[in-house]
Amino acid sequence: MSVANARRFAITGMGAVSAFGVGAAPLWQGLREGRSGIEPLRHAESSRLRVRIAAQVPESFDPAALFDERVLPMLDRTTQFALCAANEAIAQSGLDFAAEGLGSRTAVVIGTGVGGETTQDESSRRLYAENAQRLHPLTIARVMANAPASQISMAHGLRGPVFAVSSACASSNHAIAQAAMMIRAGVADVAVAGGAEACLSYGVLRAWEAMRVLADDTCRPFSANRRGVVLGEGAGIFVFESMERARARGATVLAELAGFGMSADAGDIVAPDPAGGGAAMALALADAGLRPEDVDYINAHGTGTPANDPAETRAIRQVFGAHADRLAVSSTKSMHGHALGAASALELVAVIGALRDGVVPPTANLDTPDPACDLDYVPNAPRAMPVRAALSNSFAFGGLNAVLALKQA
Amino acid sequence: MNAPQSDEAIRERLFAIVAKQAKIDPAVLRPEATLKDLGIASLEAIELIFDIEEDFDITFPDEHANFDTDTVQNLIDAVRAALQAKSGGSEATA
Repeated sequence: MSVANARRFAITGMGAVSAFGVGAAPLWQGLREGRSGIEPLRHAESSRLRVRIAAQVPESFDPAALFDERVLPMLDRTTQFALCAANEAIAQSGLDFAAEGLGSRTAVVIGTGVGGETTQDESSRRLYAENAQRLHPLTIARVMANAPASQISMAHGLRGPVFAVSSACASSNHAIAQAAMMIRAGVADVAVAGGAEACLSYGVLRAWEAMRVLADDTCRPFSANRRGVVLGEGAGIFVFESMERARARGATVLAELAGFGMSADAGDIVAPDPAGGGAAMALALADAGLRPEDVDYINAHGTGTPANDPAETRAIRQVFGAHADRLAVSSTKSMHGHALGAASALELVAVIGALRDGVVPPTANLDTPDPACDLDYVPNAPRAMPVRAALSNSFAFGGLNAVLALKQA
Repeated sequence: MNAPQSDEAIRERLFAIVAKQAKIDPAVLRPEATLKDLGIASLEAIELIFDIEEDFDITFPDEHANFDTDTVQNLIDAVRAALQAKSGGSEATA
Protein backbone atom coordinates (compact mmCIF):
# COMPACT_ATOMS: atom_id res chain seq x y z
CA MET A 1 0.00 0.00 0.00
CA SER A 2 1.95 2.94 -1.32
CA VAL A 3 0.91 6.37 -0.15
CA ALA A 4 2.77 8.84 -2.34
CA ASN A 5 2.71 12.40 -1.05
CA ALA A 6 2.13 11.20 2.51
CA ARG A 7 2.37 14.19 4.81
CA ARG A 8 2.08 12.38 8.13
CA PHE A 9 4.32 9.59 9.32
CA ALA A 10 3.54 7.11 12.06
CA ILE A 11 6.28 5.78 14.32
CA THR A 12 5.22 2.22 15.03
CA GLY A 13 8.35 0.80 16.62
CA MET A 14 11.35 1.99 18.59
CA GLY A 15 14.42 0.40 20.04
CA ALA A 16 17.52 1.66 21.79
CA VAL A 17 20.85 0.79 23.32
CA SER A 18 22.30 3.40 25.66
CA ALA A 19 24.05 4.01 28.94
CA PHE A 20 20.82 2.75 30.51
CA GLY A 21 21.29 -0.64 28.85
CA VAL A 22 19.42 -2.46 26.12
CA GLY A 23 15.94 -1.20 25.31
CA ALA A 24 14.00 1.99 24.71
CA ALA A 25 12.05 1.49 27.96
CA PRO A 26 15.05 1.62 30.34
CA LEU A 27 16.37 4.69 28.49
CA TRP A 28 13.07 6.54 28.79
CA GLN A 29 12.60 5.41 32.40
CA GLY A 30 16.03 6.80 33.29
CA LEU A 31 15.43 10.09 31.51
CA ARG A 32 11.97 10.67 32.93
CA GLU A 33 13.36 10.12 36.42
CA GLY A 34 16.24 12.52 35.74
CA ARG A 35 18.86 9.83 36.33
CA SER A 36 22.29 10.18 34.77
CA GLY A 37 24.04 7.46 32.80
CA ILE A 38 27.36 9.32 33.05
CA GLU A 39 29.96 7.33 34.98
CA PRO A 40 33.74 6.99 35.31
CA LEU A 41 35.22 5.94 31.96
CA ARG A 42 35.89 2.22 31.56
CA HIS A 43 38.72 1.93 29.07
CA ALA A 44 41.81 -0.22 28.63
CA GLU A 45 43.89 2.94 28.02
CA SER A 46 42.29 5.07 30.72
CA SER A 47 45.62 5.66 32.50
CA ARG A 48 46.87 7.49 29.37
CA LEU A 49 43.69 9.52 28.86
CA ARG A 50 42.69 12.86 30.31
CA VAL A 51 38.99 12.19 29.75
CA ARG A 52 37.60 10.65 32.95
CA ILE A 53 33.86 10.24 32.33
CA ALA A 54 31.47 8.98 29.67
CA ALA A 55 27.96 7.67 29.18
CA GLN A 56 28.90 4.13 28.15
CA VAL A 57 26.72 1.18 27.34
CA PRO A 58 27.03 -0.96 30.48
CA GLU A 59 29.33 -3.96 30.74
CA SER A 60 26.25 -6.17 30.93
CA PHE A 61 25.89 -5.66 27.14
CA ASP A 62 27.11 -9.08 26.01
CA PRO A 63 27.47 -9.46 22.22
CA ALA A 64 28.18 -13.19 22.54
CA ALA A 65 24.81 -13.71 24.17
CA LEU A 66 22.98 -11.42 21.72
CA PHE A 67 24.29 -12.57 18.35
CA ASP A 68 24.86 -15.83 16.54
CA GLU A 69 28.53 -16.82 16.50
CA ARG A 70 28.44 -16.94 12.68
CA VAL A 71 27.27 -13.31 12.53
CA LEU A 72 29.27 -11.81 15.37
CA PRO A 73 32.67 -11.66 13.54
CA MET A 74 31.05 -9.28 11.03
CA LEU A 75 29.83 -6.83 13.65
CA ASP A 76 31.68 -3.80 14.93
CA ARG A 77 30.33 -2.52 18.25
CA THR A 78 28.42 0.19 16.30
CA THR A 79 26.56 -2.43 14.30
CA GLN A 80 25.92 -4.52 17.42
CA PHE A 81 24.09 -1.55 18.92
CA ALA A 82 22.22 -0.86 15.66
CA LEU A 83 21.06 -4.46 15.20
CA CYS A 84 19.95 -4.74 18.80
CA ALA A 85 17.89 -1.54 18.57
CA ALA A 86 16.47 -2.45 15.16
CA ASN A 87 15.38 -5.90 16.36
CA GLU A 88 13.47 -4.26 19.22
CA ALA A 89 11.85 -1.63 16.97
CA ILE A 90 10.82 -4.12 14.29
CA ALA A 91 9.38 -6.55 16.85
CA GLN A 92 7.32 -3.74 18.35
CA SER A 93 6.00 -2.66 14.94
CA GLY A 94 4.47 -6.10 14.39
CA LEU A 95 5.35 -5.91 10.69
CA ASP A 96 5.92 -9.11 8.72
CA PHE A 97 8.43 -8.24 6.01
CA ALA A 98 8.12 -11.68 4.43
CA ALA A 99 4.44 -11.16 3.68
CA GLU A 100 3.25 -9.67 0.39
CA GLY A 101 6.69 -8.48 -0.64
CA LEU A 102 6.82 -5.84 2.08
CA GLY A 103 10.58 -6.36 2.51
CA SER A 104 11.11 -5.09 -1.03
CA ARG A 105 9.15 -1.94 -0.20
CA THR A 106 11.08 -1.23 3.02
CA ALA A 107 14.01 1.19 3.29
CA VAL A 108 16.79 1.24 5.88
CA VAL A 109 18.63 4.51 6.59
CA ILE A 110 21.05 4.53 9.51
CA GLY A 111 23.12 7.51 10.58
CA THR A 112 26.59 7.21 12.04
CA GLY A 113 29.28 9.79 12.65
CA VAL A 114 32.40 7.63 12.48
CA GLY A 115 31.19 4.12 11.55
CA GLY A 116 33.16 1.07 12.68
CA GLU A 117 35.60 3.02 14.80
CA THR A 118 36.34 0.30 17.37
CA THR A 119 37.50 -2.01 14.58
CA GLN A 120 39.43 0.78 12.85
CA ASP A 121 41.25 1.71 16.04
CA GLU A 122 42.11 -1.90 16.86
CA SER A 123 43.39 -2.45 13.30
CA SER A 124 45.64 0.61 13.55
CA ARG A 125 46.98 -0.58 16.89
CA ARG A 126 47.82 -3.99 15.45
CA LEU A 127 49.53 -2.48 12.39
CA TYR A 128 51.51 0.32 13.98
CA ALA A 129 52.04 -0.81 17.58
CA GLU A 130 52.42 -4.57 17.07
CA ASN A 131 53.76 -4.52 13.51
CA ALA A 132 51.17 -7.14 12.64
CA GLN A 133 51.47 -8.62 9.18
CA ARG A 134 47.77 -9.21 8.65
CA LEU A 135 44.40 -7.86 9.73
CA HIS A 136 41.16 -9.74 10.27
CA PRO A 137 39.67 -10.53 6.85
CA LEU A 138 36.33 -8.97 7.82
CA THR A 139 37.90 -5.65 8.83
CA ILE A 140 36.41 -3.80 5.84
CA ALA A 141 33.00 -5.39 6.35
CA ARG A 142 33.04 -4.24 9.98
CA VAL A 143 34.47 -0.74 9.45
CA MET A 144 32.35 0.50 6.54
CA ALA A 145 29.85 3.16 7.57
CA ASN A 146 26.97 1.34 5.87
CA ALA A 147 27.55 -1.85 7.91
CA PRO A 148 24.76 -1.05 10.41
CA ALA A 149 22.22 -0.43 7.63
CA SER A 150 23.38 -3.49 5.69
CA GLN A 151 23.27 -5.83 8.69
CA ILE A 152 19.73 -4.67 9.55
CA SER A 153 18.72 -5.25 5.94
CA MET A 154 20.25 -8.75 5.96
CA ALA A 155 18.80 -9.74 9.32
CA HIS A 156 15.24 -8.80 8.36
CA GLY A 157 15.11 -9.25 4.58
CA LEU A 158 14.70 -5.54 3.84
CA ARG A 159 15.39 -5.07 0.13
CA GLY A 160 14.38 -1.48 -0.61
CA PRO A 161 16.77 1.50 -0.59
CA VAL A 162 19.39 0.83 2.12
CA PHE A 163 22.23 3.22 2.93
CA ALA A 164 24.06 5.21 5.61
CA VAL A 165 23.85 8.90 6.31
CA SER A 166 26.67 10.80 7.95
CA SER A 167 26.45 14.32 9.33
CA ALA A 168 28.36 14.07 12.60
CA CYS A 169 26.07 14.89 15.54
CA ALA A 170 23.00 15.33 13.32
CA SER A 171 23.34 11.97 11.53
CA SER A 172 20.27 10.35 13.09
CA ASN A 173 17.94 13.26 12.34
CA HIS A 174 19.21 13.49 8.77
CA ALA A 175 18.69 9.71 8.40
CA ILE A 176 15.13 9.95 9.72
CA ALA A 177 14.35 12.88 7.41
CA GLN A 178 15.73 10.88 4.49
CA ALA A 179 13.50 7.93 5.44
CA ALA A 180 10.43 10.15 5.64
CA MET A 181 11.20 11.70 2.26
CA MET A 182 11.36 8.26 0.66
CA ILE A 183 7.95 7.35 2.08
CA ARG A 184 6.61 10.73 0.97
CA ALA A 185 7.99 10.16 -2.53
CA GLY A 186 6.39 6.71 -2.72
CA VAL A 187 9.80 5.03 -3.02
CA ALA A 188 9.22 2.96 0.12
CA ASP A 189 6.16 1.99 2.18
CA VAL A 190 8.06 1.41 5.42
CA ALA A 191 11.41 2.72 6.63
CA VAL A 192 13.66 1.53 9.43
CA ALA A 193 15.76 4.54 10.41
CA GLY A 194 17.82 6.00 13.21
CA GLY A 195 21.45 6.07 14.18
CA ALA A 196 24.25 4.20 15.91
CA GLU A 197 27.64 5.13 17.33
CA ALA A 198 30.40 3.42 19.28
CA CYS A 199 32.99 6.15 19.30
CA LEU A 200 34.89 5.65 22.55
CA SER A 201 38.07 4.30 20.98
CA TYR A 202 41.47 5.45 22.20
CA GLY A 203 42.05 7.40 18.97
CA VAL A 204 38.71 9.19 19.00
CA LEU A 205 38.96 10.00 22.72
CA ARG A 206 42.40 11.54 22.17
CA ALA A 207 41.04 13.51 19.22
CA TRP A 208 38.21 14.92 21.35
CA GLU A 209 40.69 15.75 24.10
CA ALA A 210 42.70 17.74 21.57
CA MET A 211 39.67 19.90 20.79
CA ARG A 212 39.37 20.82 24.47
CA VAL A 213 35.60 20.57 24.51
CA LEU A 214 35.21 17.64 26.94
CA ALA A 215 33.88 18.28 30.43
CA ASP A 216 35.85 16.80 33.32
CA ASP A 217 33.05 16.91 35.93
CA THR A 218 29.72 16.14 34.23
CA CYS A 219 27.50 17.47 31.44
CA ARG A 220 25.79 20.73 32.49
CA PRO A 221 23.83 22.09 29.53
CA PHE A 222 22.73 25.74 29.84
CA SER A 223 24.40 26.07 33.27
CA ALA A 224 26.90 28.91 33.69
CA ASN A 225 29.46 26.41 35.06
CA ARG A 226 29.17 24.08 32.04
CA ARG A 227 32.51 22.68 30.96
CA GLY A 228 31.67 20.91 27.73
CA VAL A 229 30.61 17.63 26.20
CA VAL A 230 30.42 14.23 27.88
CA LEU A 231 30.68 11.57 25.19
CA GLY A 232 28.20 8.72 25.04
CA GLU A 233 27.44 5.78 22.75
CA GLY A 234 24.51 3.66 21.69
CA ALA A 235 21.80 3.41 19.06
CA GLY A 236 18.20 4.40 18.50
CA ILE A 237 16.23 2.84 15.65
CA PHE A 238 12.59 3.43 14.67
CA VAL A 239 10.00 2.07 12.25
CA PHE A 240 8.22 4.67 10.11
CA GLU A 241 5.25 4.29 7.79
CA SER A 242 2.55 6.58 6.49
CA MET A 243 -0.14 7.34 9.05
CA GLU A 244 -2.76 5.97 6.65
CA ARG A 245 -0.91 2.66 6.40
CA ALA A 246 -0.42 2.36 10.15
CA ARG A 247 -4.09 3.14 10.90
CA ALA A 248 -5.29 0.76 8.19
CA ARG A 249 -3.43 -2.17 9.71
CA GLY A 250 -4.45 -1.25 13.25
CA ALA A 251 -0.89 -0.67 14.46
CA THR A 252 -0.12 1.05 17.73
CA VAL A 253 1.21 4.49 16.77
CA LEU A 254 3.81 5.72 19.28
CA ALA A 255 3.96 9.24 17.87
CA GLU A 256 3.61 11.14 14.63
CA LEU A 257 6.63 12.44 12.74
CA ALA A 258 4.93 15.57 11.46
CA GLY A 259 7.81 17.19 9.60
CA PHE A 260 11.47 17.98 9.40
CA GLY A 261 13.77 20.84 8.50
CA MET A 262 17.38 20.83 7.37
CA SER A 263 19.89 23.62 6.79
CA ALA A 264 23.61 24.34 6.76
CA ASP A 265 25.39 27.29 8.36
CA ALA A 266 27.93 27.60 5.53
CA GLY A 267 30.12 29.37 8.05
CA ASP A 268 32.46 27.98 10.69
CA ILE A 269 33.37 24.28 10.77
CA VAL A 270 32.63 24.04 14.52
CA ALA A 271 31.11 27.28 15.88
CA PRO A 272 27.31 27.16 15.60
CA ASP A 273 25.37 29.95 13.88
CA PRO A 274 21.96 30.71 15.44
CA ALA A 275 20.63 31.65 11.99
CA GLY A 276 21.35 28.16 10.65
CA GLY A 277 19.80 26.29 13.56
CA GLY A 278 16.85 28.69 13.54
CA ALA A 279 16.28 28.12 9.83
CA ALA A 280 16.07 24.35 10.39
CA MET A 281 13.56 24.82 13.23
CA ALA A 282 11.42 27.18 11.13
CA LEU A 283 11.48 24.73 8.20
CA ALA A 284 10.45 21.86 10.48
CA LEU A 285 7.51 23.86 11.84
CA ALA A 286 6.40 24.82 8.31
CA ASP A 287 6.76 21.26 7.02
CA ALA A 288 4.66 20.00 9.93
CA GLY A 289 2.04 22.74 9.56
CA LEU A 290 2.68 23.79 13.15
CA ARG A 291 2.54 27.32 14.50
CA PRO A 292 5.13 28.20 17.16
CA GLU A 293 2.41 28.29 19.83
CA ASP A 294 1.43 24.67 19.03
CA VAL A 295 4.78 23.46 20.37
CA ASP A 296 5.14 22.64 24.07
CA TYR A 297 8.60 21.06 24.24
CA ILE A 298 11.97 21.25 22.53
CA ASN A 299 14.55 18.55 23.07
CA ALA A 300 17.59 20.77 22.60
CA HIS A 301 20.87 19.93 20.96
CA GLY A 302 22.22 21.21 24.31
CA THR A 303 25.77 19.86 24.26
CA GLY A 304 26.91 21.76 27.33
CA THR A 305 29.69 23.59 25.48
CA PRO A 306 30.23 27.31 25.99
CA ALA A 307 29.46 27.90 22.29
CA ASN A 308 26.36 25.79 21.63
CA ASP A 309 24.03 26.63 24.47
CA PRO A 310 23.75 30.44 24.07
CA ALA A 311 23.61 30.09 20.27
CA GLU A 312 20.79 27.54 20.50
CA THR A 313 18.97 29.76 22.99
CA ARG A 314 19.15 32.70 20.57
CA ALA A 315 17.97 30.49 17.70
CA ILE A 316 14.92 29.35 19.71
CA ARG A 317 14.09 32.96 20.60
CA GLN A 318 14.38 34.03 16.96
CA VAL A 319 11.98 31.32 15.79
CA PHE A 320 9.49 31.26 18.65
CA GLY A 321 9.32 34.95 19.63
CA ALA A 322 7.18 35.52 22.71
CA HIS A 323 6.20 31.84 22.84
CA ALA A 324 9.84 30.95 23.63
CA ASP A 325 9.17 31.83 27.29
CA ARG A 326 6.30 29.31 27.44
CA LEU A 327 8.32 26.43 25.99
CA ALA A 328 9.85 23.65 28.03
CA VAL A 329 13.36 23.13 26.66
CA SER A 330 15.63 20.37 27.94
CA SER A 331 18.89 18.69 27.02
CA THR A 332 18.82 15.00 27.77
CA LYS A 333 22.52 14.82 26.82
CA SER A 334 22.99 15.70 30.48
CA MET A 335 21.95 12.08 31.16
CA HIS A 336 22.60 9.88 28.07
CA GLY A 337 25.71 11.82 27.06
CA HIS A 338 26.54 12.93 23.55
CA ALA A 339 26.38 9.83 21.39
CA LEU A 340 27.35 11.83 18.26
CA GLY A 341 25.74 10.11 15.26
CA ALA A 342 23.28 8.31 17.55
CA ALA A 343 22.50 11.37 19.67
CA SER A 344 19.30 12.52 18.02
CA ALA A 345 18.00 8.95 17.88
CA LEU A 346 18.38 8.60 21.66
CA GLU A 347 16.72 12.01 21.96
CA LEU A 348 13.79 10.89 19.83
CA VAL A 349 13.12 8.21 22.45
CA ALA A 350 12.92 11.07 24.97
CA VAL A 351 10.55 13.10 22.78
CA ILE A 352 8.26 10.12 22.13
CA GLY A 353 8.20 9.46 25.88
CA ALA A 354 7.30 13.09 26.59
CA LEU A 355 4.47 13.03 24.02
CA ARG A 356 3.04 9.72 25.25
CA ASP A 357 3.43 10.08 29.00
CA GLY A 358 3.02 13.85 29.42
CA VAL A 359 6.35 14.09 31.23
CA VAL A 360 9.18 16.35 30.08
CA PRO A 361 12.59 14.93 30.99
CA PRO A 362 14.81 17.45 32.76
CA THR A 363 18.13 19.06 32.01
CA ALA A 364 20.28 17.44 34.70
CA ASN A 365 23.14 19.24 36.48
CA LEU A 366 21.78 22.73 35.74
CA ASP A 367 22.61 24.48 39.01
CA THR A 368 23.96 27.91 37.98
CA PRO A 369 21.80 30.15 35.77
CA ASP A 370 23.56 31.75 32.81
CA PRO A 371 22.20 35.13 31.63
CA ALA A 372 23.01 34.07 28.06
CA CYS A 373 20.75 31.01 28.48
CA ASP A 374 17.41 32.45 29.56
CA LEU A 375 14.76 29.88 28.64
CA ASP A 376 12.91 27.36 30.81
CA TYR A 377 15.28 24.38 30.69
CA VAL A 378 13.30 22.18 33.13
CA PRO A 379 16.26 22.06 35.51
CA ASN A 380 17.05 18.85 37.38
CA ALA A 381 13.50 17.55 37.95
CA PRO A 382 11.09 16.09 35.39
CA ARG A 383 7.87 18.00 34.79
CA ALA A 384 4.41 16.54 34.30
CA MET A 385 2.71 18.56 31.55
CA PRO A 386 0.78 17.79 28.39
CA VAL A 387 3.02 17.80 25.33
CA ARG A 388 1.00 18.20 22.11
CA ALA A 389 3.92 18.76 19.79
CA ALA A 390 7.68 18.93 20.13
CA LEU A 391 10.84 19.69 18.19
CA SER A 392 14.07 17.70 18.41
CA ASN A 393 17.14 19.78 17.50
CA SER A 394 20.48 18.56 16.15
CA PHE A 395 23.21 20.98 15.14
CA ALA A 396 26.35 19.19 13.97
CA PHE A 397 29.99 20.08 13.52
CA GLY A 398 30.33 21.12 9.93
CA GLY A 399 27.42 23.51 10.44
CA LEU A 400 24.78 20.89 9.59
CA ASN A 401 21.37 21.28 11.17
CA ALA A 402 18.46 18.82 11.20
CA VAL A 403 15.29 19.27 13.24
CA LEU A 404 12.35 16.90 13.59
CA ALA A 405 8.78 17.95 14.46
CA LEU A 406 6.78 15.36 16.40
CA LYS A 407 3.13 15.27 17.43
CA GLN A 408 1.06 13.16 19.78
CA ALA A 409 -0.34 10.12 17.97
CA MET B 1 66.35 17.36 28.49
CA ASN B 2 65.69 21.03 27.84
CA ALA B 3 67.82 23.44 29.82
CA PRO B 4 65.76 25.94 31.79
CA GLN B 5 64.78 28.65 29.36
CA SER B 6 65.09 32.35 29.97
CA ASP B 7 61.93 34.40 29.89
CA GLU B 8 63.32 36.13 26.85
CA ALA B 9 63.79 32.85 25.00
CA ILE B 10 60.25 31.69 25.84
CA ARG B 11 58.88 35.02 24.76
CA GLU B 12 60.73 34.97 21.46
CA ARG B 13 59.60 31.45 20.56
CA LEU B 14 56.03 32.11 21.59
CA PHE B 15 55.88 35.39 19.68
CA ALA B 16 56.98 33.56 16.55
CA ILE B 17 54.22 30.94 16.94
CA VAL B 18 51.49 33.46 17.71
CA ALA B 19 52.57 35.82 14.93
CA LYS B 20 52.50 32.98 12.44
CA GLN B 21 48.95 32.00 13.44
CA ALA B 22 47.83 35.66 13.40
CA LYS B 23 49.70 36.26 10.13
CA ILE B 24 51.46 39.35 11.46
CA ASP B 25 55.07 40.44 11.96
CA PRO B 26 56.38 39.27 15.37
CA ALA B 27 57.92 42.72 15.77
CA VAL B 28 54.47 44.36 16.09
CA LEU B 29 53.12 41.79 18.58
CA ARG B 30 52.43 43.24 22.07
CA PRO B 31 52.22 41.04 25.21
CA GLU B 32 48.98 42.73 26.27
CA ALA B 33 47.19 41.85 23.00
CA THR B 34 44.37 39.34 23.49
CA LEU B 35 43.85 36.46 21.08
CA LYS B 36 40.56 38.11 20.16
CA ASP B 37 42.45 41.34 19.30
CA LEU B 38 44.66 39.27 17.02
CA GLY B 39 41.67 37.74 15.26
CA ILE B 40 42.47 34.25 16.59
CA ALA B 41 39.04 32.76 17.25
CA SER B 42 37.62 29.41 18.27
CA LEU B 43 39.28 26.60 16.34
CA GLU B 44 42.34 28.73 15.48
CA ALA B 45 42.94 29.28 19.18
CA ILE B 46 42.83 25.51 19.77
CA GLU B 47 45.34 25.08 16.94
CA LEU B 48 47.54 27.75 18.45
CA ILE B 49 47.53 25.99 21.82
CA PHE B 50 48.42 22.75 20.03
CA ASP B 51 51.31 24.45 18.16
CA ILE B 52 52.66 25.86 21.43
CA GLU B 53 52.38 22.48 23.16
CA GLU B 54 54.18 20.77 20.30
CA ASP B 55 56.93 23.38 20.09
CA PHE B 56 57.70 23.43 23.83
CA ASP B 57 56.81 19.76 24.38
CA ILE B 58 54.42 20.64 27.19
CA THR B 59 50.76 19.99 28.01
CA PHE B 60 48.52 22.79 29.20
CA PRO B 61 45.85 21.89 31.74
CA ASP B 62 42.35 21.84 30.17
CA GLU B 63 41.01 24.56 32.39
CA HIS B 64 43.60 27.00 31.14
CA ALA B 65 41.72 27.87 27.99
CA ASN B 66 39.86 31.16 27.94
CA PHE B 67 40.47 32.24 24.41
CA ASP B 68 38.50 35.46 24.26
CA THR B 69 40.31 37.20 27.09
CA ASP B 70 43.71 35.50 27.15
CA THR B 71 46.60 37.79 26.32
CA VAL B 72 49.92 36.85 24.79
CA GLN B 73 51.43 37.50 28.24
CA ASN B 74 49.01 34.93 29.74
CA LEU B 75 50.34 32.41 27.24
CA ILE B 76 53.95 33.22 28.16
CA ASP B 77 53.09 32.72 31.83
CA ALA B 78 51.30 29.45 31.06
CA VAL B 79 54.26 28.16 29.05
CA ARG B 80 56.66 29.05 31.86
CA ALA B 81 54.45 27.32 34.42
CA ALA B 82 54.13 24.22 32.24
CA LEU B 83 57.90 24.07 31.69
CA GLN B 84 58.49 24.38 35.42
CA ALA B 85 55.93 21.64 36.12
CA LYS B 86 57.68 19.42 33.58
CA SER B 87 61.10 19.93 35.12
CA GLY B 88 59.62 19.21 38.56
CA GLY B 89 59.94 22.76 39.82
CA SER B 90 58.23 23.03 43.19
CA GLU B 91 56.93 26.50 42.38
CA ALA B 92 55.00 25.19 39.39
CA THR B 93 51.34 26.06 39.37
CA ALA B 94 50.22 24.37 36.18
